[in-house]
Amino acid sequence: MSSSSLASMAWRNLWRNRRRTIITLSSISFGILLAVLFTGLGDRTYGSMIDLAARMGGGHVTLQHPGYLEAPSIKKTIRDVDVKAAAALKDHDVTHVVTRITGFVMLSTASNNTGAFFMAYDPEMETKKTLAVLDGIVEGNNFASSTDSGIILGKSLAENLNVQMGKKVVYTLSDKQGEIVTGLARVSGIVTTGAPSIDSGLCLLPIDTVRKVLGFEETEAVQVAVFIDDQRKSQEVADRISAHFDENTAVVPWFESQPELSAFITMKVSGTTFFEIIIMILIAAGIFNTLFVSVMERMREFGIMMAIGFTPGRLFRLVMWESLWLALTGLVAGAIITAWPYYYFSTTGLDMSAMVGEGGANVAGVAMDPVMRVGIFPENALLICFAVILATMLSGLYPAFKAGRVVPVETIKLV
Amino acid sequence: MNDKKNVVELKNVVKNYQQGAVEVPALRGLNLNVKEGEFTAICGPSGSGKTTALNLIGALDEPTNGNVILEGTDLSTLNRSKLSIIRRDRIGFVFQAYNLVPVLTAYENAEIVLALQGVKASERKERVESLLKEVGLDGMEDRRPDQLSGGQQQRVAIARAIASDPAVVLADEPTANVDSETAEKILEIMLKLNQEREATFIFSTHDPRVMERARRIVRLVDGQVQSDEVRN
Repeated sequence: MSSSSLASMAWRNLWRNRRRTIITLSSISFGILLAVLFTGLGDRTYGSMIDLAARMGGGHVTLQHPGYLEAPSIKKTIRDVDVKAAAALKDHDVTHVVTRITGFVMLSTASNNTGAFFMAYDPEMETKKTLAVLDGIVEGNNFASSTDSGIILGKSLAENLNVQMGKKVVYTLSDKQGEIVTGLARVSGIVTTGAPSIDSGLCLLPIDTVRKVLGFEETEAVQVAVFIDDQRKSQEVADRISAHFDENTAVVPWFESQPELSAFITMKVSGTTFFEIIIMILIAAGIFNTLFVSVMERMREFGIMMAIGFTPGRLFRLVMWESLWLALTGLVAGAIITAWPYYYFSTTGLDMSAMVGEGGANVAGVAMDPVMRVGIFPENALLICFAVILATMLSGLYPAFKAGRVVPVETIKLV
Repeated sequence: MNDKKNVVELKNVVKNYQQGAVEVPALRGLNLNVKEGEFTAICGPSGSGKTTALNLIGALDEPTNGNVILEGTDLSTLNRSKLSIIRRDRIGFVFQAYNLVPVLTAYENAEIVLALQGVKASERKERVESLLKEVGLDGMEDRRPDQLSGGQQQRVAIARAIASDPAVVLADEPTANVDSETAEKILEIMLKLNQEREATFIFSTHDPRVMERARRIVRLVDGQVQSDEVRN
């Protein structure tokens, strides 16, 4: 008897008790729906957070001074950033490369003063794709050039300084030698990001103006931020890029430069994985129940089959085929019932603004989108398919073994 | 018929069943030879050992003592898988309750043993179609067991049993669950197959009509042969 005949018989056996099979398929499908939506939510949310964090900070991969990560300081700079940026841009996964100077600054106005984090960038190189805060300019405009005399303040920071558009702000910082240096700027823009810690503590400056104040060379900066399309490739891109540089330049993927965010995502992903394992166990339990009851109901039939020449191995394979059919049919049914909810949650999403509140939510300084959307990575979708098949096949093992161990004389009574 | 070989040999076969702490004897030193081409009825009262004898000949059970030899092979020397192969290749079963595989059609049920043997599809088709015609089921090949009457199901069972040209066909009360007219037809089919194909039949029965047609009647009482009548 060929495998196809056995498979055909298994398929028909599956539909002998339609109601039971449909209930089992429903549980598999529902499990798939939950697994896909939860995994998709995680993949998209965490992916977006990482991309946003990259756009708020040092990119998906950062080129910086080797000692910067351990103790960030404006004294730890890298040189020849134009050459380094050009080298990084040659990598096929890299989409954008920008140069920045970052650090802490004291801001003073006529009425107030406060400390803030500053980011100095080249307005001709940076767009919203590399610097997310540019998306949040609610008053004024981006700098006209890298030598502009303006300053862009977070909205809360401007309020704290009691300063409006066009007003003067003095920024004070220490240079590489530890000397106090100052610069004068006029407020040329106000930004809001949705993250209170950023809105009250970030200011933006034009890079060449800051270079001049700090006495930096033209090709000197604190970091070169590298951006890629797929954040999952951060490590491999970092590895490839680092091959171009000596030990004076550290190439750091986002999860090393933003350990808090990385830890948060790792924790959340672990939670999702645990949840998925529970789903798979529930699926497996449902399938085991179906197959076991189905086998126990057919012991006499298996006895007859054994009597007419089925070997124990063939009966085992018959039940395993039934398991496989359940898995494959469950996957198809799961795909069908998942399609519309997935489409809805990936396009429209679920607006959680009311629950998050006006201030919005942020993790490790990264603002979270209040609209939850799903977008599963293909490899995770495949992993779910594989897990469903594995859970089903494992569930079928014992019933299949039981079928193969049937003793004909005990199950058939000739007289 | 004397020059024909023994298909089945039961040599001093003892079979005891354990019922709790009590050992109940079912066969007490049964000796029986069946030659190829015989049409043998085993009869006797309930508890006489008919079932046990058929189970042992069909390689479905093992004797407590003694030997069951099928075509010269002592079945006690074979493991589970080899016994499965013996059952597949050398024994045909016709059960009282038909016991067809419910998800298979009449054709597929009749074909199943050949498929298990790995016979080519074209040869299977030829043999099964011819057999179904012989048992009067021409045109009913695609019907499932639940679409067939009891008599029709029993004919499919006979076709399944005979399809692989087994050394012996074991039939358990083959006419017990059908009406007298159908019983007569089934008996005719079995006799025809016995005569034309020289298939060896051993069946247990209480049916006097079956016993009338049998060429040999073995009566069992208390697990032993009480009489063994051969008719010419």
